[in-house]
Amino acid sequence: MKAKDIMEQVKDYLSPDDTIKNAVNKMRVLKRDDGIVGVKGMIVLDNEGNLVGMVSVKDILKAIIPFYMTMTELGEFTWEGMLAEMTKKVADKKVAEIMMKDVITVSEDAPLMECADLIVKHNLQRVPVLNKEKKVVGIIYVRDLYNAIVRVLLDDKEVQNL
Amino acid sequence: MTHEAATTSQPFIMDTTFWTATIIFLLAYALIISEKVHKTVVAIFAAALMLVLKILEQREAFHTEAFGIDWNVIFLLLSMMIIINLMKPTGFFEYIAIKSAKLGKGEPMRIMTIFAIVTAILSALLDNVTTVLLLAPVTLLIADALEVDPIPFLIAEALASNIGGTATLIGDPPNIMIASKAKFDFMSFIYNLTPAIIVIMAAFLFVLKIMFGKKLHVRPELKQRILEMDEKEAIKDPLMLKKSLFVLSIVIIGFVLHGTFNYEPATVALFGAGLLLLLSGTHEPHHVLAEIEWPTIFFFMGLFIIIGGVVKVGLIKWMSLEVLAITHGNMFATSMLIMWFSAFASAFVDNIPYVATMNPLIIDMAKQIWPHLQGIQLLHNPELMPVWWSLALGACLGGNGTAIGASANVIVVGLAERAGKKISFIRFMAYGMPVMIITVFISTIYVWLRYYVLKI
Repeated sequence: MKAKDIMEQVKDYLSPDDTIKNAVNKMRVLKRDDGIVGVKGMIVLDNEGNLVGMVSVKDILKAIIPFYMTMTELGEFTWEGMLAEMTKKVADKKVAEIMMKDVITVSEDAPLMECADLIVKHNLQRVPVLNKEKKVVGIIYVRDLYNAIVRVLLDDKEVQNL
Repeated sequence: MTHEAATTSQPFIMDTTFWTATIIFLLAYALIISEKVHKTVVAIFAAALMLVLKILEQREAFHTEAFGIDWNVIFLLLSMMIIINLMKPTGFFEYIAIKSAKLGKGEPMRIMTIFAIVTAILSALLDNVTTVLLLAPVTLLIADALEVDPIPFLIAEALASNIGGTATLIGDPPNIMIASKAKFDFMSFIYNLTPAIIVIMAAFLFVLKIMFGKKLHVRPELKQRILEMDEKEAIKDPLMLKKSLFVLSIVIIGFVLHGTFNYEPATVALFGAGLLLLLSGTHEPHHVLAEIEWPTIFFFMGLFIIIGGVVKVGLIKWMSLEVLAITHGNMFATSMLIMWFSAFASAFVDNIPYVATMNPLIIDMAKQIWPHLQGIQLLHNPELMPVWWSLALGACLGGNGTAIGASANVIVVGLAERAGKKISFIRFMAYGMPVMIITVFISTIYVWLRYYVLKI
């Protein structure tokens, strides 16, 4: 099996000009392949359909948490309602400003081991799959790889049971 | 007070070596100012050129006081960086900052004043960049809590750190370099510069009130957020904090006494760094050592070698003759010229290479004026003393003039930009330049009154 055999279809994507508010809404209503509504990350495509970034819930949280809090330990000195205040402040920030730009991708013909290796090495949740023209043709999620593993193990078991 | 020595014939030859060294020096400084190449890279390469082209022998660069690396400066900086790196994770600085904000009772102008004083005191004992970097995150948090613009606070802190740093030998790199070259001890700086800085600080706080006093208002309910903070929660490692404060006290006492017991400041600082490393019980000193600002250290080492080269070929001596030609050996005129020129020069270029050049220049000038004097008698000649203090005051306080005048300013502008608030070059200068001119003006009065009228 190759990457293209287990990947899921791209149903929606973000534009770099979307605001964080838009992005959150798109992520909230997107339907996954398994029927669950709502995703925790989406790819960002420009006008020509080229992959330019990816946004996850963590990227949105990072945008909300003031940068000075990452410089030192200040968590104890925050106040009730601060998260809401800071969230409102970044509502109109553009996706382009908060997205992760160095997206790790695989080609559609990549073996599954390559996908697994990348996911573990870079602590990823999803890997966009590119065709030869460098356009996104699908996304592999951790769960897709897990399903592939489950199929291997259960098949083995069935063989044993025979 | 005209001295005949100033007009004697030039004792050096403008040969190929002279011009090669001069060109390396000028190109290196131009590149550093242009910021096209990182200053440390420029310094290392230019220093290497001085050696490769045999302007300096390696032995001279590494092992002589006249032309080589000033290890006193290097080890003082290294040791203080190690002590601070070990202290940082204890939460001491956050504790001080939160405590200060609470002392200010959530009143923005009061907080700004207290922060400025705390910044100045910490900068006098530690380096300015570290002080600003440690206080800025809390400052930004406080500004968010009070829903006020953080920019006035950040600018006030940068300016205060440059002022405070001027007060002591270890407060600002120019002072460290001057102390080493002119053989001043810690207490000489306390006697000669600290009084000036106390007056300047009082004036600065008054100026802050005029600049920002009317602009800062806070809704009463927001002040509660500050009062509810518990500064004790900032302390992450109480045991290490006790050890750090113990060692820091020893180091400060050591600085106060080093002149009396004939120790160099670097010896005191190195002892402190070694002791705190030992007490910390760390088995992985590489973290602490890796956090040393190596680019800064190598910048200094490279600069010392570049300066060594141009001192050896006589460029600095030629420059000192030019200065003497302007002042005709009048030491009051020299002091004033050096103070104001240093201030404006430091406002636009890095004061570290500037002072590295001025130190040997002043010494060469003194040799022209008093050819019969040597060593301490030359360096500490009563007529020369105000010139050193003028250099320190001008070079350190001049850093306040523009956004690029001092490292603390660059840091603050960078942090403000990350917080989404751009401080333009002009906006910084609108606050920094008046403060620079007022503080250098007070220094002018101080030097004139103390060394030329009262002569104390």
